[in-house]
Amino acid sequence: MNAKRIRLLIWKEFLQLRRDPLLLRLLFLMPVLQLVMMGYVVGADVKNLSTAVVDLDHSVVSRRLAASFASSGYFVITARPAEESALRPLLDRGDVKVALVIPEGTSRRLSAGGSVPVGIVVDGSDSRIASVGGGYASQLIAAFNAKLIAEQGLTVSGPGIDARVRVEFNPSLRAVNSMIPGLIATILVLSMSVIMSQAVVRERERGTLEQMFVTPISRGDYLVGKLTPYVLIGIVQMSIVAFIGRVWFQVPFNGQLWVVVLGLFLFMLTTVALGLLISLVSHTRQQAQQTVMFIMIPFMVLSGFIFPVASMPPAIVPITYLIPLRYAVDFLRGTFVKGAGVRELAVPLLAMAGFAAALLGFAVASFHKRLSD
Amino acid sequence: MIAAALSRIGAIARKEFIHIGRDPRMLIAVLVVPVMQLLLFSYAISFDVKNVPTVVLDQDMTSASRAYLQTYRSTDFFNVKGSIDGLASIDDVFRRNLAQIAVVVPAGFGRSLARSEKAQVAVIVDGTEPNAAQLGQAYAIALNQVYGNRVLAEWGDRQGIDIAQAGRLEPRVRTWYNPERRSADFLIPGLMVVIIMIVTVQQTAVTLVRERDLGTQEQMMVSPLRLPELMIAKLLPWTFLAFVDMVVIAIVGIGFFGIPLRGSVVFLAVAAALFVFAALGMGLIISALAPSMESANIIALLIAFLPAFILSGFAFPLESIPPFLQGVSYLFPARYMIIISRGVFLKGAGFAELWPQLALLGGYSVLVVVIASVLYGRRAAR
Repeated sequence: MNAKRIRLLIWKEFLQLRRDPLLLRLLFLMPVLQLVMMGYVVGADVKNLSTAVVDLDHSVVSRRLAASFASSGYFVITARPAEESALRPLLDRGDVKVALVIPEGTSRRLSAGGSVPVGIVVDGSDSRIASVGGGYASQLIAAFNAKLIAEQGLTVSGPGIDARVRVEFNPSLRAVNSMIPGLIATILVLSMSVIMSQAVVRERERGTLEQMFVTPISRGDYLVGKLTPYVLIGIVQMSIVAFIGRVWFQVPFNGQLWVVVLGLFLFMLTTVALGLLISLVSHTRQQAQQTVMFIMIPFMVLSGFIFPVASMPPAIVPITYLIPLRYAVDFLRGTFVKGAGVRELAVPLLAMAGFAAALLGFAVASFHKRLSD
Repeated sequence: MIAAALSRIGAIARKEFIHIGRDPRMLIAVLVVPVMQLLLFSYAISFDVKNVPTVVLDQDMTSASRAYLQTYRSTDFFNVKGSIDGLASIDDVFRRNLAQIAVVVPAGFGRSLARSEKAQVAVIVDGTEPNAAQLGQAYAIALNQVYGNRVLAEWGDRQGIDIAQAGRLEPRVRTWYNPERRSADFLIPGLMVVIIMIVTVQQTAVTLVRERDLGTQEQMMVSPLRLPELMIAKLLPWTFLAFVDMVVIAIVGIGFFGIPLRGSVVFLAVAAALFVFAALGMGLIISALAPSMESANIIALLIAFLPAFILSGFAFPLESIPPFLQGVSYLFPARYMIIISRGVFLKGAGFAELWPQLALLGGYSVLVVVIASVLYGRRAAR
């Protein structure tokens, strides 16, 4: 290892990156764009669902019920068809996603006592709308009932349950609070594998790799010189995400900084090694890029970053243990949101260390093998 | 004249097919990977929350508290993993990710109920996964309400009072188009669009850059080949492959996952052709703009992957997002195609309902190919 040679190699790598001015700008624009999209879209609570109200009762109660839907914030009443049959085309076209049908005689039957059915139709072609819309509607009606009963003065002093439900760590249930810690890891793995995977295969395609090795540069020098610039870029990207997350999205940070740095360092080694490995096993840049896409999709889907692991069928869950990003997401959420320390996060930390060691080992081994080919 | 143009297009298209055929990995990437993705996504993606790991802390240890905690065990939402010994352990359990919900029954629970008082319990939810936490909160409230009503009704029976006399509304929720809420039905029509978007944009994004890198672009320029001919010839093989992908995904979806196809196949095919063309055209624009393969890749990733996944309405309802981003979502063809695909597969909708989306898609694909040709022509002229 020779510090001067390594420095020169790093310099060369940066010069090469600068030749494509768009690439460098993209590398720093990408995290910001992802952050905005993820923060605002994935983090958005389902609300403002366009709703049709079919009021066949035309009574005070039915109008109050419709008003309670409109004022809830979850539903926006965009259509008031006179008949139930008019709902079909509205839902077919996707103009409304939810419909509330108040049958004739609701008010009269309500004063007679007993339970009176109210129709809620949800568009089943969108899973979140179907589950969340139905849930909100049921909750609103339950609240409406409670108000009716209270107004009638029908309270009994019998036994009951007084449940205090409390949310810990993220009491406002803001989705971005757990989205952005996960995003730091996701952006890192996305951009590192995209650029790292091209790094060595490009030199081989152009034949500059052989040239490099007739110079006094050793393989160790080359490897360190190749990895360092990308590690630096990765650090800048992560800092951008963390900074915007803290300042713009106001994500709380409850953990200890050194724990985060330790975990991210381990994960960075993993991602760099993964990119390097892809670069080494690919013959052309296009193949390298195909491989990256092929790997990134299960990473995104199975890491629990967007889709919770707990919701996956039991047969899929063991596969998620093979995905390094899963541990990084667990780790970052643990420290950011829950303020967990090294002791509690031992499992993801050890897993990341294991992945980093194994992938780096593989990469170095295949690097030597490839070059002797 | 036209015959000559056609034969030139045919020649380039054949050249592209040979390129693809020479790289078996690429063929696998285009034909096998989408099916694998389909299987993976269909099984893994779900917002349904079930079996949330739960711990209980029973400080009362009476038959009443045991009966109460038993109700958590008998739902499939809560998965009671075990008991803990003190309030202090809750934090530890949450931090180690061993449970997401803790139910605490304080001492005196049974005594309060026996005295006809409101008995207190606490449910603590880990908010790290807001979606699960929100549902956990709602389920816990509902469960306690139901249990409280049952206790009250039993007490009323003993006292001879009919509690259920007051009138109340009862929601009857119906899910149209997918009454059993099968997640395959939700996902596959949208997934088809996302997968096609990822495969096509990424592929065409690099095709022109590669010709430039390898220096074969100049060679082509000195040949009698015209620019629009080159564009069409470059798009043809991929249009064909993307179409094959789409058919394969549809067959797997219908045959293997049993999703319904209620609308017209012809309408779907026309819309799909327009969509594939629009997506490929986007790839060509990237190809014409990007100075190197690396940046072409990253732009493709940014343009194809993220908006297709996030701004298309595939998994995240677009109504809930800020108006600015809603505007952005109209710039990507996936948004229109997902509405069409879901409409045709699940709702049995056709031209009468979906013509606005089809028209937008058609206009979009023409516009995109024109922009790509202009940009490319300008670059080549330099």
